[in-house]
Amino acid sequence: MIEMQNITKYYDNFRALNNFNLKVEKGEILGLLGPNGAGKTTAMRILTCFLPASSGKASVAGFDIFDDSVEVRRRLGYLPETPPLYPEMSVNSYLNFVGEIRELPFGVRKQRIGYVCERIGLDAYRDRIINTLSKGYRQRVGLAQALLHNPEVLILDEPTVGLDPNQIIEIRNLIKDLAQDHTIILSTHILPEVSMTCGRVVIINEGEIAAVDSVKNLEKNATGRPTWKIILKAPESFDWQSIVNKAPDAQINDLVQADTSEFKLRLNKSEDFDDLFKVLTKENCVFREITPIKATLEDVFLKITHGEERKENA
Amino acid sequence: MKVLAIMKRELQSFFFSPIAYIVFAAFMTIVGYLFWIVLATSKMATLEPMLYNAAFILLLASPVLTMRLISEEKKSRTIELLLTSPISPAEIILGKFLACFVLYCVLIALTLQYPLFMWHYAPDLDWGPIISGYIGLLLLGAAFISVGVFASTLTENQIIAAMISFGSLVLFWILGWAKHAFENAFGQMISNLSVFDRYAEFLRGILDSGNVVFFAVFTLTWLFLATRALESDRWR
Ligand SMILES: Nc1ncnc2c1ncn2[C@@H]1O[C@H](COP(=O)(O)OP(=O)(O)O)[C@@H](O)[C@H]1O
Ligand SMILES: [Mg+2]
Repeated sequence: MIEMQNITKYYDNFRALNNFNLKVEKGEILGLLGPNGAGKTTAMRILTCFLPASSGKASVAGFDIFDDSVEVRRRLGYLPETPPLYPEMSVNSYLNFVGEIRELPFGVRKQRIGYVCERIGLDAYRDRIINTLSKGYRQRVGLAQALLHNPEVLILDEPTVGLDPNQIIEIRNLIKDLAQDHTIILSTHILPEVSMTCGRVVIINEGEIAAVDSVKNLEKNATGRPTWKIILKAPESFDWQSIVNKAPDAQINDLVQADTSEFKLRLNKSEDFDDLFKVLTKENCVFREITPIKATLEDVFLKITHGEERKENA
Repeated sequence: MKVLAIMKRELQSFFFSPIAYIVFAAFMTIVGYLFWIVLATSKMATLEPMLYNAAFILLLASPVLTMRLISEEKKSRTIELLLTSPISPAEIILGKFLACFVLYCVLIALTLQYPLFMWHYAPDLDWGPIISGYIGLLLLGAAFISVGVFASTLTENQIIAAMISFGSLVLFWILGWAKHAFENAFGQMISNLSVFDRYAEFLRGILDSGNVVFFAVFTLTWLFLATRALESDRWR
């Protein structure tokens, strides 16, 4: 559905994107993940024909973004970083204007505005002046604008930035819901966002693709051996050596509080944990906390972007 | 049509900003004052002095009307919506120009009360120079607005856009002085570019096709440059 081949973009002498290759299949939600300044917005602006690439090729729905720019734009819905709203207009007249420049005939326009407002939860706000809407609702109007012409491809640049936690959840659910009918690329610098909404992630750093994989794979590869964090209260006579025998990789911290001990365990296989658990209960240890430590995308991200060997049990 | 959509939206937003109202009020007050003062001193049924001076007020007023056209879209980032829609820069520029021109026509139409007033008291009024004068005024407005549209594509700062168009319009006014400075072909060539000398001919009742063509070409040239400037934003 979307293809970028060797896209490179220079702003004057500054290289914002370097040899960018990307392929997105129909119906996918792809996340572009990267720190601020990584080049996410630049990549999206190139795809939406807002900016030209310095070199390379790209196509959307089979149309070349340079040669068939108009056809590409007809098939794209784009929510830029700042929603492109006219503050003095009402939601209704704004969407009507967008429908007009999106070439929707009168009847279709009315029908699509009704449908999109209902789907996005803007029904009660259609006569409100955009100026008077909260940030969350403006973001919705921005999304409605991108959806209005029922585009095959949706490009959303940091769709949840600046929203409060409730609004973030609502917008995320909305995006997941939209994936049934659209191919979606979204960008974010917030890690959990990707694991929650996207099927596949492209990690960008300094204009280069650092990793492409499914969220599951990225997490799995980074996790390595199963690890637990355990906080317990042990009897004074407790023989800490017995843990070390059971799990040679265990790190036992000094007593955190007078009567509790915190340690992290790295095991070769999950079953080893069962044995250890039995030993600890037999010794009359009282468990305060047992947490499996999963490497998050954050670990993957830091590992890739900083080239740091992060300890799996850090 | 997409051009009409752009035009309609622009006109709407004119009415939401106080600028259009202020320009209208100021223009009508000054033109009204000019009309009465000219009538009181000359006691002649002629509209020429009023229309001639109106052009200078429009030189001041039109940058204020045009400054926001593209600058505002850039500033509020709505330009991203326009340029990623299936609409061409030429259509955007044309829509913006037409919106401002429609507003201008309304403004000019409001001054028709003065010739009608004169006609009421002087039924033998010579309509020839008045009609050609108004035609000249419309062409002059189109020229002013096209310069303003171009200036507005250059920056996201409305004040700078207004200064650029005001400066350019003043330049096209004073070019006419060249023919007094250099009394040769060069001076003549430069003063040919003066929009005011040509406008003055309309006021004298001369409907010269050369002048009409000049204004049309002048306007289209600036609109073309504006289109290119808007396109080149992409290619930066
Ligand atoms: N118009 C521009 N002119 C010059 N440099 C730019 C421009 N736009 C972005 N950049 C630079 O390109 C890099 C990538 O920017 P951007 O694509 O906006 O990153 P992101 O969206 O991932 O935060 C940044 O270092 C930014 O400063
Ligand atoms: Mg960005």
